[in-house]
Amino acid sequence: MMRNALARIGAATLALAMTTTALAACSPSEGSESGDPTTITMLVLGDKPTNGRLEAMLDKLNERLEAEANADLELFYVEWADWQTQYNTQLLSGDDSIDLITTATDWLFAWENAEKGAFLPLSEEMLQENAPRTWEQVNADGHWDLTKLDDGQIYFIPEDNYTQYTNHGFFYRGDWAAEAGIPDGTITKFEQFTTYFEWVKEHQKDAYPWDIAGANDAALTGYLQGHTDGQTIQQISAGNYFPFQTTEADPYTVTSWYMEGDELLQAAELAKKWNDIGVWREDALNYDGDTREEFYAGLSGADQHHTQTFVTQIVDNMTKKQPGSDPKFFYWGQENGNVFKDILTHGAMAVNATSKHPEKALEVYDIVRNDEEAYKLLNFGIEGTDYVVTDDGELAYPDGYDSSTDALGSNFWAGRMDDFELDKVTDAPNKGEIYADLDAVAKEYPYSTLIVNKDMIDPTLAAMGGVLSEYLPQLQYGKFDDPAAAIEEMRQKLRDAGYEDARESIQSDMDAWASERGLK
Amino acid sequence: MVMQASVATPPRVGQHEIVRTRRRKTLLGRIVQHRVLLLMCLPAIAFFVVFSYAPMPGAWIAFTNFNYRDGIFGSPFVGLRNFEFLIKSGQLWLLTKNTILYNVAFIVLGNILQIALAIMLNEIRSKYFKKISQAVMFLPYFISVVLIGVIAFNLLNYDTGALNALIEQTGGDPIKIYSIAGAWPIIIVLFQLWQSTGYGSIVYFAAIMGIDNSLFEAAAIDGASAWQRIRYIILPSLKPTFIILLLFALGGIMQGNFGLFWNLVGNNAALFQTTDIIETSVYRMIISQNNFTSSTAVGLYQSLFGFAAVMLCNWIVRRINEDYALF
Repeated sequence: MMRNALARIGAATLALAMTTTALAACSPSEGSESGDPTTITMLVLGDKPTNGRLEAMLDKLNERLEAEANADLELFYVEWADWQTQYNTQLLSGDDSIDLITTATDWLFAWENAEKGAFLPLSEEMLQENAPRTWEQVNADGHWDLTKLDDGQIYFIPEDNYTQYTNHGFFYRGDWAAEAGIPDGTITKFEQFTTYFEWVKEHQKDAYPWDIAGANDAALTGYLQGHTDGQTIQQISAGNYFPFQTTEADPYTVTSWYMEGDELLQAAELAKKWNDIGVWREDALNYDGDTREEFYAGLSGADQHHTQTFVTQIVDNMTKKQPGSDPKFFYWGQENGNVFKDILTHGAMAVNATSKHPEKALEVYDIVRNDEEAYKLLNFGIEGTDYVVTDDGELAYPDGYDSSTDALGSNFWAGRMDDFELDKVTDAPNKGEIYADLDAVAKEYPYSTLIVNKDMIDPTLAAMGGVLSEYLPQLQYGKFDDPAAAIEEMRQKLRDAGYEDARESIQSDMDAWASERGLK
Repeated sequence: MVMQASVATPPRVGQHEIVRTRRRKTLLGRIVQHRVLLLMCLPAIAFFVVFSYAPMPGAWIAFTNFNYRDGIFGSPFVGLRNFEFLIKSGQLWLLTKNTILYNVAFIVLGNILQIALAIMLNEIRSKYFKKISQAVMFLPYFISVVLIGVIAFNLLNYDTGALNALIEQTGGDPIKIYSIAGAWPIIIVLFQLWQSTGYGSIVYFAAIMGIDNSLFEAAAIDGASAWQRIRYIILPSLKPTFIILLLFALGGIMQGNFGLFWNLVGNNAALFQTTDIIETSVYRMIISQNNFTSSTAVGLYQSLFGFAAVMLCNWIVRRINEDYALF
């Protein structure tokens, strides 16, 4: 009985397997121009929207893509929870169902992943043939060099035609700053935050002066940037930290502001002072609340992120949710002009090394980047339901639209174009002023074309990342009784991890790069 | 037996052939005979093949400078370089020490409490009270460690925690528990015991239930007190169970309860000195440092050490009493 039953199940399984194989063999060969449209999957970062607007937009966009390239676009989301891990493991998995990958050299590990072979090297011919408009524009601007590894190959396409400032700083409330006695309610020096925080602690009993959650090094970096002329080399990260700098005074010598100078100690002492005041939750390291919402709710005196967030979200939300709060932005490096323009690879698009349709993927990318109708669909949605254009030509939203539930969420951050962008009615009224001020002082990142060979120093960087992730969050939150001793201990551990070898290796790449360009 | 015979005596023509056919038949015959049992084993076998044996070759990554293009076996071989820093930084020693000490505490305190609880349950005469107590003690086992982390934070945090609120109410100074590394071994052990004792006591309770009733009757006739019953009947009867459980536990002495530690401590580096165990360290290395090689190196070290621990324990037990040994 049992054996017969088993035999029957076995036979059925075998039959099923054979049918499936036969069916697979019968399916039309993919990618042919005349057959079914090829589906191109694009990896984006962000939480996948569930309001149906994205799907509606994709239906319309795909009509156009089918007509132009016989292709459909699908989006694959790496969501914000644990995004760094998810992103890197997704790339590591070599999943061949993904064709296009959103990346960035300063926050999405583009160099690391290119070196590790996650991205397909793109030949000039391939780009010229399949993404001619993109090739032309990037080539005319001379930006392909920004995307090459030391093998001379192009690994991604830069979002090089889109102006944004993603330099970090503090958001704070002008109304509270004025009451704290700060002239005009405008903070112009990092240390003035001590006065501001003390006032908030004293007079706004419900609010934390700066509610902040989880491991962080914002206050340290902010201080270091405003009190040194250090220029962080963005090509080299150790874990979540960027430990190598040069100085503006000596731009071709690799050093580290975590290793040299007294400024780190000064920053740590200030952080300790803030901790003693009670600027953040005593247990901020274990807290994981949404601190931006706290800021919007008037329960935090400050928040930390970049200019772009300030002009597109903070001002609008704060004026609506905390009328009269007069939101302001103090960016790091403001007091000494040590601030940089965005690098052109803050957003970039790569083709997955295991993609089955790399040419088609480039074709689709070329369309959504350069075709105005496709671009607007992908970025703004369907006109009339997702957005409207005012008489002044500004982008606005239909009546009853709530950005927290109705957002399109397509998150295309790897090929936006100034030419197609519209000012938004929700933008900060003084956006132009803020940009103009930054334009006047911000420096160009000098090392965009520097290529660092990390083959030999990767284990060292990993070990350094481990040390930094142990010490920096505690220094940032002022948790060491003796910051000077802790810094000395951290420096010794970094030296043990091989800091000096790594520095020398980077220095030799820097020397070669500088002499090639006649800079040194 | 058959094999030994065929090797020991010079083979005669044809005999070897016969022996082999017979053996094959027997094996097949035995498979057929035990097909249902074997089928029942299949999921477990598949589990271990897929999750324990198949990934084993991947441990090679610990000896390479890994890149995606060349893959695990194509990436350049770097020998023991990935282990070097772990040793030099003292990390490996700290992790080993913490992991083992926590496990020793869990095993010793856990078993004592479980046995005590099982005996107490056994002594309860009221049926309803017994059931209710059992259910209440069981409950924590079913609470997710994520919730335990949240409960702990809400009890212990400095600004809004229940404990500090109580201390302040009574006129004391609040305590910065999340900055005191020394407090956490106690907190973690308490949470672990709270969660696992009730559940762990079932095995002992079942063993007590299985004791021959005539022993108790004889003891009653001899006028033994409750304490004497426990001392001379129950405890000796629990010895085999205790030893088997101890052996299993010692085999896992290098393995930590990741969920509990991660949810209680998370990324709070101020507590790592006393709370970082192998699992949490490996997780952080991958999550925040994208460091597959060093984390695999630690994992490999853990496995080898764990393997040695199992073998050693088994050998020792075998020395003492062969019946108690696992193999």
